[in-house]
Amino acid sequence: MNAPDSPSGVRKWWPPHFGFGRKGRRDTAEIDIWRLQSLFNNFRRILFLNNAVLEDMDHLERVLGGEYIFDRAFLEASVRTISSRVHHVSYNLNALTGNGYISLYDRYQAIRTKLDDILAGNASTLAPAAVLPLEALGWELEPLVGTSLVCLAELRHQPAMPVAQGFVVTTAGTEALSGTGEAPAATEATRFPAAAVMASIEEMFTTMCGQDAGTAFTAVVIHLVNEEEQAGLRQEYALTPEPGGSRVVIAARRRPGRHPLPPLSDAAPALTAPIAAASPADGLVRLITALAARRPGQTSDPAGQSAIFVRRALPAALRGSVRSRAGGTEPFDTLAITAETAADDDLGDSYLLRRIYPFDLIRSTIAQRPAGFQFLRGKVATSADETDGALARGSALIQNEMLKRLAGTTVAVERLFGGPVAVQWECGSDGSCLLTDLAPLQIDLEEVDDDALHREQRQAVVLCRGGQMVQSGIAAGRVVHVTDDLLPADFPAGAVAVARYASPQLTPILQRAAAVVTEFGTTIGHLATVARELRVPALFGIPDALVTLAAGAEVTVDASEATVFQGLLRLSLLRGVKESDLSPAAPEYRILRRLLRFILPLHLIDPDSPTFAPQGCRTYHDIIHFCHEKAVDELAHFQERRPELGAIRTRRLRLEVPMDIRVLDIGGGLAATVAGDPGCDEVQSLPFRSFLDGLRHPKAWELELPSLGLRDILSGMTHEMSNLYGGTVNLAENLAIVSHDYMNVSLRLGYHFNVIDSHLGVDEARNHVYFRFVGGLADPERRGRRVEFISEVLAAMDFKVTVKSDLVIGRLKLIPADIVLATLFTLGALTTVAKQRDTCLYSDADTRALLTAFAATFLGPAAPVRGPTAGRQGPSPEGAATGQGGISPFILDRDQ
Amino acid sequence: MSPVADQPPIRLLILDDEPIVCKRLKPTFQKLGYDVETFTDSASALARLRQQPFDIVITDLKMEGADGMQVLAGVKEVSPATRVIVITGFATMETARESYRKGAFDFIAKPFKLGDLVECVQRVEKTLQTDRRTPPERQP
Repeated sequence: MNAPDSPSGVRKWWPPHFGFGRKGRRDTAEIDIWRLQSLFNNFRRILFLNNAVLEDMDHLERVLGGEYIFDRAFLEASVRTISSRVHHVSYNLNALTGNGYISLYDRYQAIRTKLDDILAGNASTLAPAAVLPLEALGWELEPLVGTSLVCLAELRHQPAMPVAQGFVVTTAGTEALSGTGEAPAATEATRFPAAAVMASIEEMFTTMCGQDAGTAFTAVVIHLVNEEEQAGLRQEYALTPEPGGSRVVIAARRRPGRHPLPPLSDAAPALTAPIAAASPADGLVRLITALAARRPGQTSDPAGQSAIFVRRALPAALRGSVRSRAGGTEPFDTLAITAETAADDDLGDSYLLRRIYPFDLIRSTIAQRPAGFQFLRGKVATSADETDGALARGSALIQNEMLKRLAGTTVAVERLFGGPVAVQWECGSDGSCLLTDLAPLQIDLEEVDDDALHREQRQAVVLCRGGQMVQSGIAAGRVVHVTDDLLPADFPAGAVAVARYASPQLTPILQRAAAVVTEFGTTIGHLATVARELRVPALFGIPDALVTLAAGAEVTVDASEATVFQGLLRLSLLRGVKESDLSPAAPEYRILRRLLRFILPLHLIDPDSPTFAPQGCRTYHDIIHFCHEKAVDELAHFQERRPELGAIRTRRLRLEVPMDIRVLDIGGGLAATVAGDPGCDEVQSLPFRSFLDGLRHPKAWELELPSLGLRDILSGMTHEMSNLYGGTVNLAENLAIVSHDYMNVSLRLGYHFNVIDSHLGVDEARNHVYFRFVGGLADPERRGRRVEFISEVLAAMDFKVTVKSDLVIGRLKLIPADIVLATLFTLGALTTVAKQRDTCLYSDADTRALLTAFAATFLGPAAPVRGPTAGRQGPSPEGAATGQGGISPFILDRDQ
Repeated sequence: MSPVADQPPIRLLILDDEPIVCKRLKPTFQKLGYDVETFTDSASALARLRQQPFDIVITDLKMEGADGMQVLAGVKEVSPATRVIVITGFATMETARESYRKGAFDFIAKPFKLGDLVECVQRVEKTLQTDRRTPPERQP
């Protein structure tokens, strides 16, 4: 026995247990298969953990949608659990790839730290910078800029009205500049030195105003965050360049509109005397410093923290405000809009509209204009008796269409904010309008008596009930059926969308809808995520909703109760968000929303992009997606990357077709009773069996071919292979690594190299099929035609297809087991048919002929089915798996 | 199901040290006709329970001061007929078993769907109505 000794000469105890010392008897095959199994175990673990994390994410989303009662302890436990799983996914990928992605741990740790900071209430580390463009704000920055500014930024997703562009100095920035804080501010000053903040402000001014930076008129709005912010207090200043541009004057600016947003309270008194500065950036810094000096010692007080929104103030012809609830003595379902000219407040109008689509105008008060008054777009008021299609002195400042846009947008903002809001807007003389600010609206609404509310709901006519609540809340409006030919832009803002499927295609419609109801759909999926993001009340899975909810009918959707009522339920709508509902004002809701910003979004989408790297992972979803893609890629290439695993003991599969495939069983892939070379009937791997059924299918071998006979080509393949690979069997042979629910098949038939990797289980979230095809000695034109043929077939099966020269890569994920089997069956047939294309595809017509022949035989009848579920109605998996009439169901696009 | 009209409303005490839970549960049960009181500290809740019997107590398990198990024991001591529903974010087989052993009516893990808790309370209510109809001497 020659057991290895340690440097100290002490004989180790373990060598005999691992076969060392048995000279000449070391079984490399056993060791290799052990390592191979370890490789696959890591892969399976990644699949398992990926699925668990996706389930965690789905659960958290549903909690945000209001489906569950939860508490802070739940949030803490959830972060612990999901973090642990993501960490393990990173570990397993590194174990699988020989520590190929060590930097993933850094990304994981960075995200984990942010999540812990959110839970600990430490907001300061969340800001990537102290000064940010408005459009860069997200919910995760809410503690640093306030809810109103995040809402304003989120409105970029609302197509109805654009928002003023500008930049925001966060509380971290204002504290760094003012330098009056104690411990927290000192930390900020370290992280964002005042000089760096100043430089960022200068850069933002330049970006915002371009070459006009020294002369542009700028509006500066002070937002107090946290408690004071809830009271909607604002103070606005103007940065006005003096003629010649030598200096800038900063002065308080009266807020526009006859119902302006309320001024700041005594907590942060306004500056009364103007300040002069050398530049806009200098002026802004002086303003921040002066404001801080007026409230000494309050910078660490959340009520005194301020964020500052700076926007370029272009000349406005009209301006005004919208109150999402008219309040006072006005009816409960009304909102109020004011409009006035920039020159003269006395020429202002006011309008009262219904809050519910189609936002009918109930009442308007129009001021009389002087003769020659200029409306928008240069139209001039005529005298009252010359109206004939023109604008008269008594015409409204804004037209009906604009009123409805303002109303629809404001109602959407209210939903996003979670309570009544006031919105400010401005219009240029060319008619272009912008939202410039928003604030919570303090308003006394009529008290709703619980008994009366209960009575109202009992007496209401229920049109439909059931389905799954995706986002809680209540909304009313007229029903609009969403059909395939309805363009999102044509969907009326504020209507109730009723559709057959909760398809991602509804996303732009959701941005305009008051509520959404679908006949089919689940709480998982893109549309559900969007509904929660926008807080649009949503019910999915109500049978016959398109029948019971007639187009044009006025309905009330109470998503929390999973019920749609006929007509408007006045009291229910008046109460709005139920106290039992999860309100955006609840601290737990805000924490969860912030947490999810670092968990849910998927930024790494394209595996072929250079940014598809650990450094690009910004969320947990990015990490697990990255790990999954890289794990599949690793297995698809493992023979090339791990040649040391090549010398493994395999068995030759007995096939009745002229093809040579060796099989390595890593667990349950072959019948346990097989002694020698296995036959196809002894293959127990479900995915491999289905693939073989397609590969061996008589119609794949008998397909009418334009020129050379397939059998002639294939009969020479094995011979060709040994020539190519010089007789080495390990990397040159066709190899199938199989287990009960997995297959990795590498084929080197003829001039092609083909890899098909697939996992199949009952859980579709873990299922995938990866297809890779490369090679061929034909001329470039014929290779191009072959690539086209394969790509078309893959696309017909809903693969995500990438083509690079001769290389075709197809990916299919999140698919049910029967579709995996049908897909593998078709890929088997495709493999058989595709091998000989070098010699047959002489023209594009040949390609079309082959495609047509293959489609007619293997892509099913030309049933008009497309979309996400297209073609997924084909043969039973049993049929596909046994080869009994199992022709794949997929359909080519161009055949539709 | 909601409380029977000709009987006094069912008295419900909710104890959870996280205000959001009380805030969301109270209006739901009030709307269903229950007489609801909420507490976020167990000492106050126990004091109230000693003053006034409640038909149903919904209590969190892990809290500062007296935890849910102590509350459960306290309730059963002053009012054996009171049904107790335990809600917790730290649900294990062991805590569930202990809760039942100490006389809990049901044990619900957080987070939970509102409908699940309402259904549980309605089951309690059924047993209470059965008890009220059953003459005392026939009670087991």
